[in-house]
Amino acid sequence: MKIKSKLKDGVVETKVMASHEMTTYDIAEKKTGNREDANFITHITATINGKVVYEASTSQFLSKNPIFKFSFKGAKAGDVLNVSWVDRKGNKEDEKETIK
Amino acid sequence: MQRRKFLSLGALAAVATMVPARLAAEDFRATKPDVWTSKDINDGIAKLYGKVPTPSDAVKLTIPKVASNGGQVPVDIATDIPAKTVALFQDANPESAVIVFNVYENSVVDYSIKIKMKKSGTMTVVVEGLDGKLYSVTKSIDVALGGCEG
Repeated sequence: MKIKSKLKDGVVETKVMASHEMTTYDIAEKKTGNREDANFITHITATINGKVVYEASTSQFLSKNPIFKFSFKGAKAGDVLNVSWVDRKGNKEDEKETIK
Repeated sequence: MQRRKFLSLGALAAVATMVPARLAAEDFRATKPDVWTSKDINDGIAKLYGKVPTPSDAVKLTIPKVASNGGQVPVDIATDIPAKTVALFQDANPESAVIVFNVYENSVVDYSIKIKMKKSGTMTVVVEGLDGKLYSVTKSIDVALGGCEG
């Protein structure tokens, strides 16, 4: 996962690039014959100073290697943004980014 | 989060005393599993919110008129309505729900994502306001090459 963030006029513009196949049930069935092999990011959160600033419950219909763009207020340069996602199989990934 | 909890306690004191305090985050796949298996936009909205939204110009959905690659359809969602949640649905894929955002005190509702669209269809964004009302916008899109393969 890569995170880019930029503080501008009190708003932090953020781009999170996740590496994930985002395999749909239909693709799983086509590839392995088993729909249960579907795997995709199901939940992503971004927190700063212990407060959630972005949260999404997600489906198989996000593109492969999804990019999440969002903005939030209430942060200053030097604050650390924590982003974490979890997928259908329970895999987790966490990443940090210091606000510039 | 604190503000949301405060508002819900104030406005829905009776209800709030009956349900456990809302966690810092809510995974709607866990709390509203039926939303994600719904095959229809209106049904998906009903399963998530239990009511029908009112179309509003204050909900902005920016998508291309024609998507050349259905595997990477850019979707921009924005609103100035003080919001509790924001949800995106479409009718081109086997199920309608795409993503549900929880909005927090410091969140700015200005989201961009790329999604898969198997064929041409429509997208609906629903904004659940802090006032408890639902606001929506619906747009159609032509997909040249379907995108559930990639």
